[in-house]
Amino acid sequence: MSDDGTAADGGSASREGRLPGIVTRDGDRYVRVTRGLELPPRRAALGLLGVILFVAVPDLATLSPLLQLQVVHQGALFGLAAVGLNLLLRHTRLVSFGHAAFFGTGAYAAAILATHFDVTSMLLLLAGATLFGTLMAGVVGYLSLRHTGLYFSLLTLAFGQLLYAVVIGQGYFGSSDGLSVRPGEANQALLFGVEFGSEAYSVIVYYLTVLVVVVGLLVMWRVINSPFGNALDAIGQNRTRARFIGIPVRRYVFAAFVLSGVYGGLAGGMYGLVQQHVRPESTLYFLRSGDILFMAILGGFQTLVGPLVGGIVLVFLQDVGRDVTSYFDALTGVVLVALVFGFPRGIVGSLKRGSPFRERLGRLAADPSLAGTWLRGAGDAAVAAAYRAGENLRILLFGVN
Amino acid sequence: MTQDTPTDEDGGMNRRTMLAATGGTAVAAALAGCSTLLGDSGTQAQADDTDVPDEPIQAGLQTFTEGAAAVLGLQAQYGAELAVQRINDAGGIAGREMQLETVHEADAHIENYTQFVDEGKEVTFGPISSGGHAALAPEVESQGVVNVSTDGTVTTLYEETVDNPTYSFRFQNYDVMECVTAAREAVSRIGAENIDTIAGINPNYAFGQDEWKFFELAMNKLVDGGVESVYEGFPDLGATDMSTHITEINNVEPDVTFSSQWGGDVTTMMNQAAANDMFDNTQLVGTVLYSAVDELERDVVEAAEAVSGSRNWYWDFPNRSRWAPNGDTFSDAREEWDIVPTAHFMSGYGAVTAWATATAKLVDVIGGWPSQDQIARSLEGHGFYTPAGYHVMGTGHQGKSNAFSGRMEWSEDVGAAVLSDVNAYAPQEVSPPEGTTAEEWVNSW
Amino acid sequence: MPVDLSNLLVHTLNGVQYGFILFLIASGLTVILGILDVLNLAHGELFAFGAYVAFSVFGYVTGAIAPPSGAGGLALFLAVSLGAAVLAALAVVPLGAAIEAVFLRRLYGRDEVYQLVFTFGLLLIIKDLNKLIWGPTPVRVQSVYSGINRIPVAELVGLNFPTYKLVIIGVGAVVVAGLFWFFDRTKTGRLIRATAIDREMATAIGVSTDRTFTLVFALGAFLAGFAGAIALPQSTANLAMGANPLVLSFVVIVIGGLGSLRGAFVAALLVGVLSRWAVWQYPPAELAAPFAIMILVLLVKPDGLFGTWGETA
Repeated sequence: MSDDGTAADGGSASREGRLPGIVTRDGDRYVRVTRGLELPPRRAALGLLGVILFVAVPDLATLSPLLQLQVVHQGALFGLAAVGLNLLLRHTRLVSFGHAAFFGTGAYAAAILATHFDVTSMLLLLAGATLFGTLMAGVVGYLSLRHTGLYFSLLTLAFGQLLYAVVIGQGYFGSSDGLSVRPGEANQALLFGVEFGSEAYSVIVYYLTVLVVVVGLLVMWRVINSPFGNALDAIGQNRTRARFIGIPVRRYVFAAFVLSGVYGGLAGGMYGLVQQHVRPESTLYFLRSGDILFMAILGGFQTLVGPLVGGIVLVFLQDVGRDVTSYFDALTGVVLVALVFGFPRGIVGSLKRGSPFRERLGRLAADPSLAGTWLRGAGDAAVAAAYRAGENLRILLFGVN
Repeated sequence: MTQDTPTDEDGGMNRRTMLAATGGTAVAAALAGCSTLLGDSGTQAQADDTDVPDEPIQAGLQTFTEGAAAVLGLQAQYGAELAVQRINDAGGIAGREMQLETVHEADAHIENYTQFVDEGKEVTFGPISSGGHAALAPEVESQGVVNVSTDGTVTTLYEETVDNPTYSFRFQNYDVMECVTAAREAVSRIGAENIDTIAGINPNYAFGQDEWKFFELAMNKLVDGGVESVYEGFPDLGATDMSTHITEINNVEPDVTFSSQWGGDVTTMMNQAAANDMFDNTQLVGTVLYSAVDELERDVVEAAEAVSGSRNWYWDFPNRSRWAPNGDTFSDAREEWDIVPTAHFMSGYGAVTAWATATAKLVDVIGGWPSQDQIARSLEGHGFYTPAGYHVMGTGHQGKSNAFSGRMEWSEDVGAAVLSDVNAYAPQEVSPPEGTTAEEWVNSW
Repeated sequence: MPVDLSNLLVHTLNGVQYGFILFLIASGLTVILGILDVLNLAHGELFAFGAYVAFSVFGYVTGAIAPPSGAGGLALFLAVSLGAAVLAALAVVPLGAAIEAVFLRRLYGRDEVYQLVFTFGLLLIIKDLNKLIWGPTPVRVQSVYSGINRIPVAELVGLNFPTYKLVIIGVGAVVVAGLFWFFDRTKTGRLIRATAIDREMATAIGVSTDRTFTLVFALGAFLAGFAGAIALPQSTANLAMGANPLVLSFVVIVIGGLGSLRGAFVAALLVGVLSRWAVWQYPPAELAAPFAIMILVLLVKPDGLFGTWGETA
């Protein structure tokens, strides 16, 4: 699925078929997924492949201990929160550094309902998580959207940390021990009143996640290709101009913020169901907010599915990293630095047609000797930069003049 | 105060009583620290007619290998490694060598355990974190591979979180035991009539709050007419500056200041307390202050004259020269890892020992390799020896050992703080009987 | 409870000392933010790196000189310790200069999220660098702390207050004065401010923004490193030590006004003293106090206490 997959908006042509299938427009064939979502065949095939892979994870996980269902699962959930955050990042240009607050609120809402109110229904727990995540987004958004730029980032971060501090300090929230999500007699949340064994539970919850993620992406696709989404783009490009052309900037940005909170809360609630135990460090700490933000950028924040892919990759990297080396943080750090300088469009963005990465890959295939030239170029640039740093240091120590 | 540890004036007992006492297997004797008593025949104790797989036993340990909590985590790891080493030196469990893989527990307790299970580990140990343990225990129950915890001592674990456990066990004494020990120590050393006011400086998380609650509760029961809590501070884990709390202690001058700080936080607090002359104004009593032994410096130890618990083991009680297993373990730890072993060393050692001795005994009984269910059942009520003495894994899955407490003094010989004038408390003095919750028990005094 | 005056004074001094540490950390962050327009997420790790280097330097230096005794010995010990702290902070300077010149420079024209991602990556790398060099467990040098505390100062006025804290307050005051002097009175400092106010104009009149930027980043790194070195003796150097100071300096610079040095100073003392009072009166507030203070201030003054960088130093 991709966002700038050609949208068939408006025109009478789009009304000709109401069911999924193949449609022809301007001589090109498109695969129609749902109303308003039509993709070129290549994209449709890639999307389908992605969904199939996503669905097949529980089976793939049995092939190798390296691939753990739980890891992919967690990655997908953080990724879903990142998809929500990306609505702000990509379209309104607001960098939220506090999205763990909504993820954590969702997770804790599920845990509180399960622990203190003995709610056993998965769907009720998820509904509660989404509701409270949304409410929290409303409060934080109301208080922090007066600001833009770094002030906004730092405010969201501060609200997130305040929430973390409150949860750590209160016995009701289980302090640092957290709360479990194991309600009722069965010691687990139930889907339609049915109890599952441990293995079945994790697979069932995984497929629930797949469903939630796919629907979440479709909804997000609709949102960003709606007039509302276009208005957000206009706000991101220039707030003043957007206001002049009559867009209610504050209201729209607030709506986008709350909607991104819905994703955070829902993903957090799912996370609670998966982990069956929620702790402040892993859901509310400010580094989690950073993770969610960097997942979006790692996957490619100019794309719809990028943040999801980024989430899976980052969580996988951290998990495998821990098995391979005790310097797993640096491993993630190196990936992020390489991303900034080598793949600024992120994983999905770099793989898209017309990206510099694809273009370079094409040139390399045509002329393999280019690799040497590039390596030499990079080496020269590093030496020059180091020399410049030395020079500046000399000036620094012995005076600017 | 009682002593359950076998101490013979002559320095030991003969091989037969030893073997009988430790559970009859070579592994059990080796882990009790008494392999020298076995003689040559002892190391080949496994029967040839048992149906036991050839491949080594894979075991996993999750513990803090880095960060502030590594002060405890590494001790536990070393202890577990020493136990595994001794098992293998004694020929393994029924001839099977044991291999231990350690991972950093980070905040990924469930993931670590799942990975261990996926990799085919037959038993897992750890974690240190009490929050992590609360998250892990239900998962252990549903995946069904026995976990013997080294720490994670939150009181409510087997009272509420997992109230009917099968596969999840905890070797280390839990919170209520060390708090009651500290309270009894405070009263017996200072005298109930001299204690009117108490204060607490405890780490700001569930463990610290838990410990302070039980100490307060116990003190109110032990002192006629109760005590007044005049200050309670909760510095963050790894806090760099505890001076506000120290200043306030100086201001209110409580008769006893209780602290459940551990590791580096103890050092930070005691250094800053010494700089602020806090020890002139109060008596510091703690549960695991001794965990900072490798960092504390002479002037601070001497200024503080603190009373510290040592959970389930103190390496010089009974004295090393009279109880050889203590001396051997102490020198093994010093030689191999350059540390003064603490109660956390024993937490790793004892967790491995609990599982290994129960399993070895079971192999003898059933003549084959036992299943997880069989091992879990035989661990319930299982008694065994370590250099710390005799331990019982309770039927409620909570391990119970003697609890120790003593006064911290500087020792030129060791080049570190030691505990002197050590008292040992039998489990029944400091823990509720099976089936009673800690809070009900203390309230019933 | 009647408030005992000397008790109030000690609690306030605790807060002032804490405020100066906060200022030392936040000043570097705010200077970099004000001029380079970069929020350096790795700033807390530079603080940690400074503390670790100080551990090595202190260890070497205090091993070389005799334990202090007598007035002269104590004075010498104090001087040598402070010298060692400066030396440790200087070791962070090349690291800062290299980060700016080799990496950060290439990101100025790009979306600010890339600066965040880069400095976050750097945070993770420096943290593991510290682990590689100094090991996974905390390290400390108590000898400097207890040595300096042997100098009786507060006792002279009948107060119970460690001398080391007074040293931090004194050193912090000198740094504050030095920074204001640098930016107000020296040519280099004025050029930097000019660059902050109008980058293009500064280039037009011949200021090398390249050098200015490297200088500013190195200065920020120095301040972070110095804060680490000064903070080390009363606690530890450890792998997690960078996170809290980073978040708290966010709080400080937001309260003060982004990029304002004066704002950072006032805000640091405000947060320091108020949060210590809060802990004293209501201990559970320890973790939440700074954030609550920040939100309260922002509700009253949405842009922080002072404006942005440039117009006032």
